[in-house]
Amino acid sequence: MPAETVQDATTAASVLRDSSTWVVVPLYNEASVIGGVLRELRRRFENVVVVDDGSSDASYEAARPEATWILRHLVNRGQGAAIQTGTSFALARGAERIAHFDADGQHDVRDLQRMVERVSSGACDIAIGNRFADGASNVPTGRRLLLRGAILFHRIASGVELSDVHNGLRVFSRQAAERIEITADRMAHASELVDLIAQSGLRVEEIPVRIRYSEYSLAKGQRWSGGFRVLFHYLVGRLFG
Amino acid sequence: MTPFQWILVGAIAALAAVAVLAIVKGKIGRIAGAAWIAVLLVGLLASIDPERVTTVANALGINRGADLVLYLLALSVFWGFLLVYIRLRRVRRELTLVVRRLAVMEAEEGGTSDRPAG
Repeated sequence: MPAETVQDATTAASVLRDSSTWVVVPLYNEASVIGGVLRELRRRFENVVVVDDGSSDASYEAARPEATWILRHLVNRGQGAAIQTGTSFALARGAERIAHFDADGQHDVRDLQRMVERVSSGACDIAIGNRFADGASNVPTGRRLLLRGAILFHRIASGVELSDVHNGLRVFSRQAAERIEITADRMAHASELVDLIAQSGLRVEEIPVRIRYSEYSLAKGQRWSGGFRVLFHYLVGRLFG
Repeated sequence: MTPFQWILVGAIAALAAVAVLAIVKGKIGRIAGAAWIAVLLVGLLASIDPERVTTVANALGINRGADLVLYLLALSVFWGFLLVYIRLRRVRRELTLVVRRLAVMEAEEGGTSDRPAG
């Protein structure tokens, strides 16, 4: 894995930073946490692309000093749109691998590094986080039921045998990222992604990851009503493109 | 014919004229235009001869012609909503592409979105 030794401004310690994996962070109204998330990411990754999706709070200002690249959607277009914007930008800049990482502090950078290693070693084309694999994530019961329902739905609708279809922690090889284009602008993008992966024939590996649920992230996360909205948008997208 | 039937016939004739003009000017396709004119013709016939609508309704197992018209109206409204929704999705998609292009352009030009120093 190509990496370079750089001086970390925060810790003043020399660490190895991955320069060929571009981490895309979709950002929407996370001003209070985004700074810490980006600092942690930049200790290990040289290229962190933040896509501010028309935040109405100070997210953009908070992210700007910490991100390698920051792009701004003039109006809110949804997480799927923000991820695709960052992915297209990273591909155009020669990224060898693309990672998706949530802005709310739920993901662990060490998990991301393990996933990157699997893709960069050629073991798979796409690595997807699996929060249910080792029981390390404190998934609340309501959320667990919602996610299990989504998994079951995708097994029936798409024939995909993934154990955690709506995990936002993902790593793609360049070739995989070039073949997969997200068109579902909002939260239905995770479901669309499952279909696209299934159709692509790319090698997928699920990697056990820990999702840190906090009061903050749960307050912002997906609710049952949101789940039904995602289902509606996904079905309409499949029917009408 | 009753005064209301005359109003209906006049309104349908006006709509048919608009549809024909739209076809001639190429604003709608021939198939879509023909479908609109067919729908308007059925409406014209139903306005002039309501008894025939009742005959058709009875043949379909519906007691009153008015009920048949109501059901068809409900279906038409649903269909209309669906068409508008599909068009709205297309417009949203195009908006996303524009917003994306602007974000990338600004980042590349070092404007609003740019590479922070350091």
